[in-house]
Amino acid sequence: MTSYALFLGCTIPARQPHYELAARKALTKLGIELVDLEGATCCAPPPIQSIDLETSLAIAAYNICLAEEAELNILALCTGCFESLTIANRLLKEKRELREKINKILSNAGRKFKGTKEVKHYLQVLIDDVGVNRLKQNVVKPLNNLNVAAFSGCHLLRPSELLRFDDPERPRIFDTLIEVLGAKSIPYKNKLRCCGGLLRGYADDIALAIARDKIVNAYNARADCISTLCPFCFLTLDLGQMLIKTTYKEEYNMPIVHYAELLSLSLGVEPKELALDFHKIKVDKILEKIG
Amino acid sequence: MKTLEETKVGVFLSDCGGQIAKILDFEAITNFVKSVSGVVLVARGAEFWRGQGLQTIVDAVKTRKINRVVVAETVPKISEVAIAKAVEGAGLNPHLVEVVDLKDHCAWPHKDTPKEATEKAKAMLLAAIEKVKLQEPIEKAEFPAVKSVLVIGGGAAGMQAAEDLADMGFQVYLVEKEPFLGGLAAKAVRFFPTDDCAICIQSPASLASITQTSRKCVYRSGLSEIPNLNILTNTKVVKVEGGPGNFKVTVERKPRYVDEKKCVACGLCTSVCPVEVPDEYNAKLSKRKAIYIYKPLVYPPAYVIDAKACKFHKCAKCVEVCPTKAVNLDQKPEHVTLTVGSIIVATGFREYNPSVIKEYHYGEYPDVVTHLELARMLDAFGPTGGVPVKPSDGKPAKRIVFVQCVGSRDRRWNPYCSSICCMISLKHAAMIKEAFPDTDVTICYIDIRTTGREHEYYYERAREMGVKFVKGRPSEILHDPATNTLIVEVEDELLRRLLELEADLVVLATAMVPSEDAKELAQILGIELDQDGFFKEYNAKLRPTETKRRGIFICGGAVFPKDVPTASLHAHSAAVKAAKFLMNGKIIKDLRVAVVNQDYCGNCQFCPVICPYGAITLEPKGDGHFAANVSELLCEGCGVCVGTCPVGAIELHHLKPSQISAQVNALLSINGTSKPLVLAFSCSECGHAAVDSSGMAMMSYPANVRVLRVPCTGVIQIQHILEAFKAGAQGVMVVGCKPDGCHYEVGSQKARQKVEMAKRLLQAYGIEPERLEMFNLVFIEGDKFAEAAKAMTERVEKLGLLQLA
Amino acid sequence: MTEGKPLDFTRAITSRLGGETIIHCYQCGTCASTCPVARTTERYNPRQLIRLALLGQRAEVLKGDAIWLCASCYNCQERCPQKVEVADVIYALRNMAIREGNIPAIYIEFATGLVSEGRLAPISKFLEKKRTEYGLPPLKPANMEALKAILAATGFDKIMFKKEGASP
Repeated sequence: MTSYALFLGCTIPARQPHYELAARKALTKLGIELVDLEGATCCAPPPIQSIDLETSLAIAAYNICLAEEAELNILALCTGCFESLTIANRLLKEKRELREKINKILSNAGRKFKGTKEVKHYLQVLIDDVGVNRLKQNVVKPLNNLNVAAFSGCHLLRPSELLRFDDPERPRIFDTLIEVLGAKSIPYKNKLRCCGGLLRGYADDIALAIARDKIVNAYNARADCISTLCPFCFLTLDLGQMLIKTTYKEEYNMPIVHYAELLSLSLGVEPKELALDFHKIKVDKILEKIG
Repeated sequence: MKTLEETKVGVFLSDCGGQIAKILDFEAITNFVKSVSGVVLVARGAEFWRGQGLQTIVDAVKTRKINRVVVAETVPKISEVAIAKAVEGAGLNPHLVEVVDLKDHCAWPHKDTPKEATEKAKAMLLAAIEKVKLQEPIEKAEFPAVKSVLVIGGGAAGMQAAEDLADMGFQVYLVEKEPFLGGLAAKAVRFFPTDDCAICIQSPASLASITQTSRKCVYRSGLSEIPNLNILTNTKVVKVEGGPGNFKVTVERKPRYVDEKKCVACGLCTSVCPVEVPDEYNAKLSKRKAIYIYKPLVYPPAYVIDAKACKFHKCAKCVEVCPTKAVNLDQKPEHVTLTVGSIIVATGFREYNPSVIKEYHYGEYPDVVTHLELARMLDAFGPTGGVPVKPSDGKPAKRIVFVQCVGSRDRRWNPYCSSICCMISLKHAAMIKEAFPDTDVTICYIDIRTTGREHEYYYERAREMGVKFVKGRPSEILHDPATNTLIVEVEDELLRRLLELEADLVVLATAMVPSEDAKELAQILGIELDQDGFFKEYNAKLRPTETKRRGIFICGGAVFPKDVPTASLHAHSAAVKAAKFLMNGKIIKDLRVAVVNQDYCGNCQFCPVICPYGAITLEPKGDGHFAANVSELLCEGCGVCVGTCPVGAIELHHLKPSQISAQVNALLSINGTSKPLVLAFSCSECGHAAVDSSGMAMMSYPANVRVLRVPCTGVIQIQHILEAFKAGAQGVMVVGCKPDGCHYEVGSQKARQKVEMAKRLLQAYGIEPERLEMFNLVFIEGDKFAEAAKAMTERVEKLGLLQLA
Repeated sequence: MTEGKPLDFTRAITSRLGGETIIHCYQCGTCASTCPVARTTERYNPRQLIRLALLGQRAEVLKGDAIWLCASCYNCQERCPQKVEVADVIYALRNMAIREGNIPAIYIEFATGLVSEGRLAPISKFLEKKRTEYGLPPLKPANMEALKAILAATGFDKIMFKKEGASP
């Protein structure tokens, strides 16, 4: 039984319990034990980095310290958390001066970053600890060639020098994990481009225009759904379609589904166990297609 | 070579036309010098390095009155050469001469304290006298220089260098790894800035009936008929032994399977050959047979078999059909040993493979090509008959976008500018517009660099022909499968608009990088590569085609990407250097070199590693141990090995440990000022030059600062520093070249390490480490030397008197 | 044209965490071309922003709208041929702008959430109930003591509540 410290972040527990639910169910089925970290705070993603980079590094480091103390590696669901914590982990492990600076700050909270643990995204855990073969064996309800427009979002891949998760120009991991479930990861225009999510709240019009592009491209490629890893992406594309309807008077009815949900479904979890009513764009079409 | 003769020193004091006598008390100095043991003759005059003055020295030598010469003279770096030469002519070993600079090192900088200057002058002369007393004659050695040259690489540069040397009467081996000569440039169709066809090469002047001014294609140039020029294609260098003047080079000749002497290039073989493979020469845009020849004809005019593709005896149709029985499928690789006096590297460069720049999709989208591939398309003899097409479907390309700086000026790949790609793009754009005026051609650039002679006209012409220019570096190339069109995403910075350019063909001006064999070859030859992997010249300004290995020269694109005119210049330069090196048939060298005392050598291997010239090897002593051995030919006499040896087993003929000690003691034996004595070890290159220039510019610094000249600061050992303190120095300066500008590569850096180490030792002894300091100065920083000398003096004064037990 | 001594602004940026690499920029435009925001609106162009910064246009950069329009997608940083950390430079510029009192409302909200509950967004009662319904474990509260100590050590709250116009 492999154990990880589950790092939930802010947005998933606050807005997207369906993501958390699907992830917990799927990972547990696959034999991954998820331990909640006592006292974890926000990971200090871009909104906080915009205010102060040093504070953000310190907060991220603090959360890593909690995992170091629990002697567990971190498993992140939200790619924003993955990015923030991985970058902090990498920079502090590799740059002595920076580490000393941050540790001085952390000492005020009685902590010290040691660099003994890893931060992983749950996709990585699927590859490393479950393995593609075992995962395939566990798929009891293959997704019947569902056309999935895979959208990992920006922060799973970039900045690649620090994240080192997958090839930033030719990523394969996410697509492979979708296909293992029996679905098809289809090519579509500007697949790796941002959803514009982080502009919401400051320039909603621009954010919406960027999101719309994504929906249109997936739609034109005849996707059955867009699969996401980031709660911000989900929000932008799911809730976003409601705004697209009112602003652009266009309806695409493109279901947005977290990978964890697809994973859960393929592992045999019943739809009614998954809080699918949290989706603004209904996912009935998908459920029909996969039978 | 110890002499049994008593040393008789003659001291000649020039007062520089009476000028420095106004400051220095020459009477006192003369009297002092007379009193020094070993001095038998003292003369004073206005000038001693030419005219009557020089004659005085010559006479003294001829009449055997003296056998050692000390001269106080102006600008020693010039005068000592003249004096040494004259002395040699008079029958005395020229290395038994020491010249002291009382003007720039004494009178001028200390003109405000004439009494102190006089005392310093005495110390300086004493040091020179003691040094030269201990100097033994240094002989010359002769080394054989075989009058033959190996040129590695048969491209533009290699062919020209080979031709020059063969014309001059040297035996030349031109070795080329491909089956044909020509290199990269031969594929280029046309050269800028003249748009000549790429096969053009200056014809040899030695062949009768070919005038000096005619230019001829290489196959019409009679290259192959030049006497002394041996062309070996399909050949690579595998081993080099021996040394400069006498290298033994082993080359491996890959079998051609076709006898060059019999083949008539009729092409019957190729018509019956059943094997077809993608033609790499034509950028795989077409196919060729396993037996093939480059078109149009270059050299040699003989077919060659691709051993990987050929079925050999399972087929052998070509053997049957060949009218002259030229095909020999049983040919084996051959190793040949060549004896050459010098080697010229002309291995050129190649195109960087841009598939690593994934956002451009080279290798994935067939319609994204490089310049070489486009060149093959634009060649009328090429795979598409001169028409630029989309490789994906063969249709003519009507919209062509060039992308500049692909993999160049890019810190992720190659940080340097590849220098010729702007011109190549302008050339190709113009060629396309000329042949197909209604083709839409756009060049996306960061900067357009047309710096050479006549290059700007290429840029003008391109604009006049309607080539469009977008200032912006494309971020990505996309492909629309519905229309089979490429889309180039780029910002037009001047318009401040984000564009999506549609293209049939995208040409990447990819970087130019060293030949793939450069690294291996550098190791085989023992020469250096720079940080970008190109062969490193010894000195960019003054010795651009030499390396730090005597007898090995580099030229052309192998040194850095360049156009053909510059490559020619480079090639001729290398040829001249190689010729100079070998022209006397022998190499005569003054043995101002290092020598190892084999009994002391402990085989620690520090010196072979540290020698910048690879001049030290380990030789078996016969008792199972090894000892270091210095090659007299390769040694440059810097002394870095001396500074490195932990047991003092190695010394320089021209600066023995006893000579260093003698000078240290002499310079510090007379103070004459109220200030503490400071000894400055200065390297003969930049360091000493900085001292010279401070005096020439009449900068002031106090006379308690005494300068001891060494070949390179690398020769300094920690014990020399400690010795200086023991002999009365209150402060020690080490003045050397800049760390990345040491004339002997590593000496200055090694000195810095030793100074740091010495500081720690001093501290352990309870001596203030600030008494020791290293300064890195160049000739034009004379003012900094004066400042440093003053600052050291002040510092040491503040520290107070140093009491050694 | 420049305000203050030449290079003042550039030096202020390069000496900040995240801003060190701005000086390598040679204005090739790759960042702008690959930027999803620049492709959508003329209000934002990262190349132009960096140029303004390097030309010392402090007020325009720090008081302007552009620095807030980056979506942090990191395409620019990924593809920059001079390895300029464009996205991080923009963070550094935002950090500087906030210290001078220029902060959009949404960031005040984020900061308030962090300072009060250790989370970007508060969890509503509705959500807490839903969590229990779905069988999710109750959320552990953030360690506010530790967080507050960290924020005090970095001066976060002082950064946040700086008066307008004051210089850092």
